[in-house]
Parts: sequence; structure tokens; C-alpha cells
Amino acid sequence: MRAHGYLATGRRDLPGLALTLLVAVALPLLVRDEYYANVLVLILIYAGLASSWNLIGGVAGQFSLGHSAFFGIGAYSSTILYNYLGVSPWLGLLVGGVISVALAALISFPVFRMRGVFFAMATLAVSETIRILVIYARKFVPLPYSISINYEPGFWRMIFEDRSSYALLAGCYFLVCAAVTFVLTRSYTGYYLRAIRDNEDAADASGIHIRRYKLLAFVVSAFLTAAGGTLMAQYILYIEPGTVFSMELSVDLPLMSILGGIGTVLGPFVGALILIPLRELLVEHLGGTLPGAHLVLYGLLLILIVILLPNGLLGGLARLGARLRGRRPAARPEVRKA
Amino acid sequence: MQVLLQLLISGVLLGAVYALGALGLNLIFGVAKVVNFAHGEFLMLGMFAGYWLMTLTGINPYYGAPLIGVAFFLLGLLFYGGLMRFTIYKPELTQVFATLGLGILLQNLALMAWSADYRTVQVMPPGFESINFLGVFVPTNRLVAAGYAAVILGAVIVFLKTTFTGRAIEAVSQDLMAARLMGVNPNRIFLITFGLGIALTGVAGAVLVPSFYAFPSVGSFFVLVSFVVVVLGGLGSVAGTALGGLVLGIVETGTGYLAPDLKEATHFVLLILLLALRPHGLLGVKGAEKETLK
Repeated sequence: MRAHGYLATGRRDLPGLALTLLVAVALPLLVRDEYYANVLVLILIYAGLASSWNLIGGVAGQFSLGHSAFFGIGAYSSTILYNYLGVSPWLGLLVGGVISVALAALISFPVFRMRGVFFAMATLAVSETIRILVIYARKFVPLPYSISINYEPGFWRMIFEDRSSYALLAGCYFLVCAAVTFVLTRSYTGYYLRAIRDNEDAADASGIHIRRYKLLAFVVSAFLTAAGGTLMAQYILYIEPGTVFSMELSVDLPLMSILGGIGTVLGPFVGALILIPLRELLVEHLGGTLPGAHLVLYGLLLILIVILLPNGLLGGLARLGARLRGRRPAARPEVRKA
Repeated sequence: MQVLLQLLISGVLLGAVYALGALGLNLIFGVAKVVNFAHGEFLMLGMFAGYWLMTLTGINPYYGAPLIGVAFFLLGLLFYGGLMRFTIYKPELTQVFATLGLGILLQNLALMAWSADYRTVQVMPPGFESINFLGVFVPTNRLVAAGYAAVILGAVIVFLKTTFTGRAIEAVSQDLMAARLMGVNPNRIFLITFGLGIALTGVAGAVLVPSFYAFPSVGSFFVLVSFVVVVLGGLGSVAGTALGGLVLGIVETGTGYLAPDLKEATHFVLLILLLALRPHGLLGVKGAEKETLK
């Protein structure tokens, strides 16, 4: 792969690019069935969210378990602004994004001092603290525990009549997240981030400004995650602290990235493409009769994936392809210990 | 003054309970450098073990705890042999998600088996649920649990310092390579450590069930508390865990008195501040937080 100016792209990226455009724009226009359209919306929003997580968690190797904080801030900002002040969710999305960026920049001071599992625990603690504070804030402001958004379709209200419009919106969101990942992984910044991921001390010794690049990945990731929170709130039209700040979401995003291929552009999408329909099916068939059964399978899946497919499906496929062509597997982006 | 004494005693008793609950997590972390995200779920299983022992056979969990400890030692061996063995020299990410997955699995198996009901057992005879000490209210259940914590913490320290196996565990915890060169088989030590860590966690759960409600998702509360205690006291330090538990217990009781709704948040704020300012904890070795298995 030759470097063309700033972005090192090549012909090998074309199939991925075509596939991304196809799923993000063409599928929403084609799927008419209500049920499938719903699944598609969820897949695309989660694909975007997981891509956002992937920027800091996969590309930069900083394992956040607190992304529900940004998601929840995005959902809450736009919903409160819309319900109480009549501000368009499109603006609310930006506000939520800016607040998330500010939070990410603020917490970067303590959390960037930690590595690996300590970074994970610290970010987890941040998101739990925010959830508790949001619930606690109701003592001072007249805010109900759960907030519903009235169903009044309109473009400026970001509420649509048909699901395919939502699917298109979600597709565009995913497209933006994937494009940011693509640009980031193909640029010098991406190489710096991967150097930091692979060996922070060596990267530091090579003169890479560690804090600057980690912070960049973190704030972009936070902004995009908050945007996804706004979209989800506008789709479900209902939010509450327990669901938008849930730890489940914080675990889902890395899981999807790992399943598809952590640190890759399309890995998070592949992960969402498999996990969302699987969850819908499991909830549908087991949720009513055996509460908890679908989560038992989910936990089992989590264990099997990290042990058997540490580089995800894309990584596994690449190795399989290399083996079939009789070549030695290319140096794969090994996810390393901090 | 009376209030202060009450808060102090409640805090110390709660802290002892927290220290007992966190001990297994710290032991496994200190030796194998694995943060067991399923720790809370093992504690939950210990609580249910205590509950069912009392409900089905009438054996008081305070007497039955050693029995539960033996059963959980075997469970810990299974945990290492069946799962952690495959993740031990792998990247941290693998360990985090393997244990997180196991936690989700166990929590929901418990939900399927025992429903989401809150359960507890009545152990102390009526009228003896609390005693009056200098005009301060002391719950006897917590007192017994604190007694258990003191005995077990002491026993673990003696075990680690005086027995051959204990010293081998300490050696692996301090320097894996050097321990290996001295002829210690680290994989055997990991196996024993997981057995011991889970056994301690099971005992902690059984001893807690008379004073805390057992329900399938109780673990997610305890895993975070335990993590704060471990970081507070110092990674890999048993005495540190005791101190960390006491500090957290007192801080939490104090906050609970001043602003009950923020009680939970104190854990997390304390955790973030600690990790940022003193990541090796009160009694830990500097740099322990950056250590991984080589």
C-alpha cells in the first residue's frame, strides 16, 4: 500500500468502501418491511456507536468501559432541550456532543494516567458517577425519572413517520463514523495511535505526543457516541437514566468491535450486524418464557469470542484467506497488553 | 459525640465486611494480574449458598461457612482450569471480557434458577439482632461478619508468610520470572490462587447473607466496591485490603449520614481520584498497577 500524500489509501480499500455505502445508503431505501427496518435502524446506530468506541478503544487501544456516559449525555441533552425549550434535536445533537467532548477532556486528566484494565475501571466509574448524579439532580430540578418525547413527525423535530427514514438517518450516522475511522486509521495520526496502543513507552520515546493523540481520539469518540445517543433517543422517543447510562451499553460497544475485528474500519459494523439480530431473535424466543436465558447465551458468546477469535471475524477471515492462498499469515494487528 | 461514635462503629463494621468481600479479588489480582470482573457474581453465589444451606438443612451460615469455602475452592479450581487457563498469558482485553462474560452468564443463570426475589436469612434469635454498646446500636450480624473478616484476614496473612505454598504464591506475585527460576511452577500457583480466592469470596458471601439481601444482580454492586477497596488499600497487599475496607466503610457511612443519595457515588469518586493520584494504594508497592504477566 503506497502512501498518497497524507492519506495512505489503496485499491484494496475499494470493496470495503462500496460495501459501506451500500449498507448505509442503499439498504435503508430498499428495506420496506417494518420489522426488518427496525432491526436495520438498530444495527446501523449500534454500528456507528461501536465505530465511535473503536476509535479510542480499538485504534488507540484505550479500553473504555464508560461510553454509556457519552451516549446518555447525548440522549439527555437533546431530549431536555427539545421537550422543555423546543430546541431542534439537530442542535441538541451538537450540544450533547460538545458537553461530551468537554467531559472527555476533563476526565482525560485522571484517566489517561492509567493503562489497560485500570483505564477501563476508571471510565466505568465515571459513567456510574454520572448516572448517580443525573438521578440525584432530580432533587434540585423538576425532572421526571423517565422522559417521553411526543410523537410529532417533522424533519426539524428529527421524528419520522416511516422507519426507512430513520434507517437512512442511522445509515448516514454510521457512514460518518466509518469515514472518520477510515481517515484516522489511514493517516499519520492513526499510525501514532497504533504506536501508542502497541507500546506506549516506545511511542513516547519516539517523540509522539501521547496525551495529544489519545485526547484527540477520545474527544472525537465522545462526540460521535453522544450523537448516537441523540439518534437513539429520537428513535425510541423515551429515555431514563437506567437504560441510557447502562453498563450493558458500555460492554456492548467493545463486544461488537471485538467480534467484528477490533481497530478495523468495518469490524464494528460486522459485530453489530451479527449481535443485534441475534439479540432480537433471542429476546423474541426466550425473553418471555425464560427471563435471563438470552443473557446467559450472550455471556457465553462473549467468552467464546475473546478466547477463540481475539482478532474478530475480519481478522479470522484474513488469516483464513492467507492460508488458503498458501501464504504465511500477514503480520496481523495484534491487540497487546499495555 | 454519640452520633460520631455510632458512625465510626457502623463504618468499621461495614468496612470489615467490604474487606472480607474484596480479599479474593485482591489475591487473584496480586498473583495472576487478572481483574476478575465475575468476582461479584462469585460473591452472589456464596450468598445464595449460605441462603440455601440455611433454608434446606437448617445449618446456620456462620457455622456452614467453612463447608461453603471447601465447595468454592473446587469451584475456583474449575474456574481456572475451565476458563482462565486459556486467557492467562493473553492480552488484558481477553481477561476483561472473558470474566465479564462469565459474570453475565452466572448472574442470569442465578436469575433463571432463583428468580429476582430478594432473600435473606434470620440467624440471630429475636431480641438479639442488635446490642447496645455505650449507647450505640451495634447489629450483631455485622459484628459476627466483622469477626469472621478479622480471623480470615489474619489466617491468610499467616498462610502467605509461613507456609511453603503461601510463600510460593507471594513469590509469583512479586516476580513471576524469578519465581519460575527458583523452581516454582506458576501454573500450579495460579490454580491454587484461583481456588483460594474464590473460596474466600464464597465464605464472604455466606457470612454476608444474614445482613445483606441476596439477589442475582447483587454482584454488580460488590464488584465495584471490592475494586475500590483493592485499589485503596494497595494491589496485592492483604493488610492493605483490610485498611482499604475500613477507610471505605467509614467514608461511606459518613457520606450516607450527610447525603444518603450520594453514598454510592463516593465509591466511584474515590476510585477515580485514587487511581489518578495514588494508583498503588495506601500500602501497595509503587508501580504494581502497571505490572502485567510477562
